[in-house]
Amino acid sequence: MQDQRSNRAGKSLGGRTLAYVLMIVVTALWGAPILWMLVTSIKPESEIYAYPPAWIPDAPTLEAYGALFQRFPMLTWFRNSAVVGILTTVLTLAVDALAAYPLARMQFPGRRVIMGVIFATFLLPYELLFVPLFLGLNSYGLVDSVFSLTVPASANAFGVFLLTQFFQAVPRELEDAAIMDGCGRFGFFWRILLPLTKPGLATVAIFTFVASWNNFFWPLIATNSDETRTLPVGLATLVGGAGMSMKQSVLMASAVVATLPTAIFFLALQRHFVRGIAATGIKG
Amino acid sequence: MTSLASQPAGRSGARRASVQEGGAVRSGMTLAAYLFLSPYLALFIAFMLLPTLAAVGISFMRWDILGTPEFIGLDNYRQIFADPLFLTAIRNTFYFVFLTAIPMVVLGLALAMLLDQKLKGTAFVRTVVFLPYVVMVSTVGILWGWLFDKGTGLVNYYLTTIGIEPIAWLKDPHWSMPALAITTIWWTVNTNMIIFLAALQDISEELHDAATLDGAGPWQRFVYITLPLLRPAMALVTALTIINGWRVFGQAYVMTQGGPEASTFVIVQYIYLTAFQNFEMGPAAAAGVVLLLITLVFSLAQMKLMKAI
Repeated sequence: MQDQRSNRAGKSLGGRTLAYVLMIVVTALWGAPILWMLVTSIKPESEIYAYPPAWIPDAPTLEAYGALFQRFPMLTWFRNSAVVGILTTVLTLAVDALAAYPLARMQFPGRRVIMGVIFATFLLPYELLFVPLFLGLNSYGLVDSVFSLTVPASANAFGVFLLTQFFQAVPRELEDAAIMDGCGRFGFFWRILLPLTKPGLATVAIFTFVASWNNFFWPLIATNSDETRTLPVGLATLVGGAGMSMKQSVLMASAVVATLPTAIFFLALQRHFVRGIAATGIKG
Repeated sequence: MTSLASQPAGRSGARRASVQEGGAVRSGMTLAAYLFLSPYLALFIAFMLLPTLAAVGISFMRWDILGTPEFIGLDNYRQIFADPLFLTAIRNTFYFVFLTAIPMVVLGLALAMLLDQKLKGTAFVRTVVFLPYVVMVSTVGILWGWLFDKGTGLVNYYLTTIGIEPIAWLKDPHWSMPALAITTIWWTVNTNMIIFLAALQDISEELHDAATLDGAGPWQRFVYITLPLLRPAMALVTALTIINGWRVFGQAYVMTQGGPEASTFVIVQYIYLTAFQNFEMGPAAAAGVVLLLITLVFSLAQMKLMKAI
């Protein structure tokens, strides 16, 4: 994708130098906080507040990680976040793909209205929903459960929107041929449409998993025990009240542990991701 | 990228097919369509549509955790607008939107243009800028809470090396909101950058080459080619940035807990406090509806403005 570009600004030596200077500044500004988090997490106590700040620890140690896992139910929070993230992603992919197929490729009464209503929720501040959702789930005794953390989140409209864009791009002839061959609509959907739109599915998977893993406000309301509490909510308790005396190395270790899964997930699927965004139909 | 080009063809293809097919096939298709749609629609109605309507309903009721709900008209709205804390929250949130909106759009576009060039290393820099996207809000708060610390934070350390006096960022009501804005820009500008990047990559190279041959300089090409073609992306990015700005909560909650002196107390924190700490569901729902109305007004105004330009 990149190779088709020519050197727009970088044609002259001066332009290219300026571009590289800017790129270095950008890398420093955006990379330094992340690097600082990594470096601090492996510093011994004596080096944390060294002046001037040291970017390379003299005696790296993993004791902050040990302290973190010993003092807090990190493994439980981590497991809860993983279960919630995976379930939400699988459920969202399944229902979104099924819904996007007819919206993208079939004509039926009500299609426009349904699309309009679904996509209008893009503009909805979801915080509006939390009071009624909480009251509703509470009346069924479902607050503080995996259900309340996974199922409501999968009603999100983004995946339907993105997959609709992808599904529309698959040629009509493929579908006609598949149905002619007795494949059926579901057969076409499952064996042809989905395999052809993997970048779209990967993009929805990344967005959904990262959003779920990082979701803060709803789990803050919908959980009240360590048994169901997810990482973001658990980690927030480290800085409030009880965590005030927490060593920065332990806090930074918590940051590293919390970021690792999404960072790995993102880096692994990054290639699909950029292609997926490019295909959202948001273009000039 | 190729999938994009064929997208309109796919759309008109669907239309063509519907013209060819007879009534029987079409009713079969309707049944199939609703079968495919039903799992999502069930979730959407249960967890999106009904809660939205319920939120509006609850905002007109006295609704405590115990006791029977009772219709009280606009009382909840009167109550929150008489509450100085709610007015402070609106003012603070507006200030946050004001501080973030323009930098998020301008910087998003600038980063996209810088990293859209065919230069070695752009892919790496893009990944670095995008990395904060995967960091959760508690972690962002913990990390930047320390970076902004007056005595031991990196921000003040590097500012003093260029001769600026240390600032008590998160402890000073004048600086707490700018600090939150800087944190938020670092954390989320990448989403805007990616949307602009996708749009930039769709602008044909020939257009730029032709303009260059006609003697257009880089600035003229930017104003007369790039900007007009970026309008849909610009509209989307602006709308998302403003809506997300009004929805700010996590950063403020973790970094400053709304302080100091309520200087970072925002609308969503008001909803949280009212509903889930004071258990006053009616006023909390009313605050949610006010938030919805504000974002709607801003979205509509922004759409009008975009059309006018």
